[in-house]
Amino acid sequence: MKRVREHRDALVRRLPALQIAVAAAFVAVVGSYWFVQVVQGDYYLVLAENNRLKEIPVEAARGLVFDNDSRLLVENVPSYNLLIEVSRSSDVEKSLEFAAGILDRPKSELADVLERHRSAVRFRAVLVAEDLTLSEVAKFSASALEHPEFEIDVSHLRLYRFGHIAAHALGHLGQVSEADLRRSESPYRAGDLVGKSGVEQSYDLDLKGDDGKRVVIVDSRGRLLEEHDEESAVVGDDLALALSVELQQEAARFFEGKTGAAVALDPRTGKVLALLSSPSYDPNLFSRRLDQEAWRQLVDDPRHPLQNRAIQNAYPPGSVFKIVMAIAGLSEKMVAPHHRVFCPGSTKIYNRRFRCWKRGGHGWMDLRSALRESCDVYFYHLGKRLGIDPIARYSRLLGFGRPTGLDVAGEKSGLVPDAEWSLERRGTPWYPGETISVAIGQGPILVTPMQLASAVATVANGGFRIAPRLVDSQSPAEIESLPLDPKVLEFVRQALWGVVNEQGTGARARVPGLDVAGKTGTAQVVAQKTWIESEDLPAAQRDHAWFASFAPVDDPRLVVVVFVENGGKGSTSAAPLAKQLYEIYFRDFLELRRPA
Amino acid sequence: MRSTSGTFSSFGGLPEESAALRHLARVRWGLLVAALLLSLVGLATVHSASSEMGIDYLPRQALWVALGMVVFLVAFSVDHQILTKFAWPIYLTGVALLILVLFVGQEAGGSQSWLGIGSYRVQPSEFAKISTALMLARYLAGVNRRYLRLPQIAIVVLIVCVPMALVALSPDLGGAAMFLPMAGGMLVVAGIRWRFVVAGTITVVLLGTGLWHFVMLDYQKDRVMTFLSPDRDPLGAGYQLQQSKIAVGSGQLAGRGYQQGTQSQLRFLPARHTDFIFAVLAEEWGFLGVVTVLGLYAAYIFNGARVAGRARDREGVLLVAGLLAGFTFHVIYNTSMVVGLVPITGIPLPFLSYGGSFTLANFIIAGLILGIDFRRFVNR
Repeated sequence: MKRVREHRDALVRRLPALQIAVAAAFVAVVGSYWFVQVVQGDYYLVLAENNRLKEIPVEAARGLVFDNDSRLLVENVPSYNLLIEVSRSSDVEKSLEFAAGILDRPKSELADVLERHRSAVRFRAVLVAEDLTLSEVAKFSASALEHPEFEIDVSHLRLYRFGHIAAHALGHLGQVSEADLRRSESPYRAGDLVGKSGVEQSYDLDLKGDDGKRVVIVDSRGRLLEEHDEESAVVGDDLALALSVELQQEAARFFEGKTGAAVALDPRTGKVLALLSSPSYDPNLFSRRLDQEAWRQLVDDPRHPLQNRAIQNAYPPGSVFKIVMAIAGLSEKMVAPHHRVFCPGSTKIYNRRFRCWKRGGHGWMDLRSALRESCDVYFYHLGKRLGIDPIARYSRLLGFGRPTGLDVAGEKSGLVPDAEWSLERRGTPWYPGETISVAIGQGPILVTPMQLASAVATVANGGFRIAPRLVDSQSPAEIESLPLDPKVLEFVRQALWGVVNEQGTGARARVPGLDVAGKTGTAQVVAQKTWIESEDLPAAQRDHAWFASFAPVDDPRLVVVVFVENGGKGSTSAAPLAKQLYEIYFRDFLELRRPA
Repeated sequence: MRSTSGTFSSFGGLPEESAALRHLARVRWGLLVAALLLSLVGLATVHSASSEMGIDYLPRQALWVALGMVVFLVAFSVDHQILTKFAWPIYLTGVALLILVLFVGQEAGGSQSWLGIGSYRVQPSEFAKISTALMLARYLAGVNRRYLRLPQIAIVVLIVCVPMALVALSPDLGGAAMFLPMAGGMLVVAGIRWRFVVAGTITVVLLGTGLWHFVMLDYQKDRVMTFLSPDRDPLGAGYQLQQSKIAVGSGQLAGRGYQQGTQSQLRFLPARHTDFIFAVLAEEWGFLGVVTVLGLYAAYIFNGARVAGRARDREGVLLVAGLLAGFTFHVIYNTSMVVGLVPITGIPLPFLSYGGSFTLANFIIAGLILGIDFRRFVNR
């Protein structure tokens, strides 16, 4: 008995050590809970709240866009989108099969869309199809119980009522870029559709409005249990444009099958009444998030329909540059209006022969007739007398070589060459012979149609630089008075009236009852040694046709610049559109003037 | 070593009734009080945890607790010396059940460890642990040495490894691991030299490495890896750990209120009525609730330790020590797992977690411990 007792005592003596170990373990556990609950409790409480509360963004409707006659150009229409939340689907393949059946589309197409959003699918609903018909929506709603993974979301689809007619002016939407998202204070969320060009881009912050949100309480499966908080969306501001749908439509009709650009603006205010670039595209294609194929086709199109040729491409101005030459020559007193030059059809300057466009020559020309007939020889001599630097100075004064300040992003500066530019950029000195080419708008000089319209507006309004703008805002336009002699401008205006109305090169733009003034231009694409008719050349080598104009000459209210890429002669290819636009714009005025 | 009392009445062999009543009054009833209070807390928490589940587990668990009190009385009434006398058949029955479950068992939670009896299911591994404890107590009680010798340790290892391997095969690694603290506790009490402890640890580590590479299933490895870096897979096992910590932490000092915990009520917390029930409690009752419940567990364990300390026979001391060691390990591991200290594995919390077999087993353990206390003057 005693032996047993001893052995039992031996066992019991070892118990306290175990008890101490257990007590220590309890202290450690209590300490851990104290740390997580009391020390870090606030942090975990926030995590718990984030778990529980889900923010559902409420998309604000974008502002509407109207033309100058309050015609609706851009609106929003409701669109039903199909989303899938993969985590709620028991079998994704079956779900896709079901959706494909209703939508009558191949399953692989939906699977591809899902595949593109691989990283996101585990956490949120992913857009698989857009713009469902009401009957498709009804079918998905009817099967909501068997297929809880599908959600129908009503969103706004941007609708451009006039399609390609004003695509470049209005712009289009696209998903916000990573770069925009990363900018500090970016008002955008990933996946937002934002303006990518035109006024949609430049006025995006006004148009977009403020998205609202619903805060709802959800369970771990994302099921909505109750509303917690709501912040309603604020609709974006509407935009009234100076643009005239009528002029825009007319210009679009004219440019069907042609490449080029047209700009019409009010020289007194800078309001842009027409801005057309051809070929154009349908901005509606970009309103959807999924239609990647159409986008790719546009980007790959060799004619670059997305490019806004009125502001993003610069071309040699050709003979319309003679307007600048005349202003420079008169202002610098290098030429007087009555100064005469004999044109035999070509002339030799710096030991090189420069040809006039008219093989037989113009005979005796003064400044006014040289502008009217667009005599090259007269301007060769004027160019030689002026030299490149004054020509460059007056070009810049009239707005060439830098963006006009149009309220649309992406404007090109063009190029105004001078001696300094030549040394810096080409590493060679300026050759005097090049000045002779620049004098008739050839050589390295490049201008955008919008720059030319802006320069013509300055001539028309008596020497003011006005930043052109598409939006018809109430605030006064940016106006800068330029150091130009009003008498010089008056002379040039009258000479340009002659171009159109006195059997000059711009006769095709004549509108009976309206004093149109303008200048044609035919810019060579390839230098030619002989007199070859442009029409005989292959399309890509044909001359660019220009026509820069304003009306009426005594009180200019509209500037029209037409540019036809590889269009041939400005007198025949570009001037007719100007005439059509003037006839529309001044219709009421012309009605009054018409004899009863 | 055999009981001096020759008669075995239905009440476990008592010399006279008045003495029996006297002894009854001296039993450490604190252990039973703690067990019942914990069961009540468990019922309330199971109800809260399952209120969004479609099935309220409260009535079922209440039935298990009621049955638990019955098996407590049975276990309390049976003399543990009779049980150790029949340790061999009891142990072999346990092993047989474990083999049976491998063939006809029902699957749940990734392991085939349930036997269906009518519409109820029982988990033989819970009872195999008790039968193994009886077997170990019987064997170790018979070893009259200050310290165990290597062959004796080998026999102990063999006794433990047979049922443990069968549980691991089902496969239920968490359940299998629970044999170790029980056997370890008994070995320490029975007397083991440090060098054997060190050698045993090394063996376990080597075996563990072997298991990792050749035996463990991917989901099991996944859980361990997730414990080592919780951000690895936010929607898998790491999700469970993260949601559990959020539940615990958001309870803060005083808790979010009964049935007010968003983590459990909105179903973010997985296995919230079973393995993670302590997270529900921590969320709803806060640190104060955690300390209270841990206090009840401490009361149970230290009452039990007192029983071990005053048991008069080697079987009693060993059996109480082993059962308590297993119980304590469950409590410490589960509460540590919930707060993110140790890897997630299917180890429930005694008296709180929903589960029939486990609840019954714990009431049997409580009955055995208090029965040993009751007979301390008889069995010596």
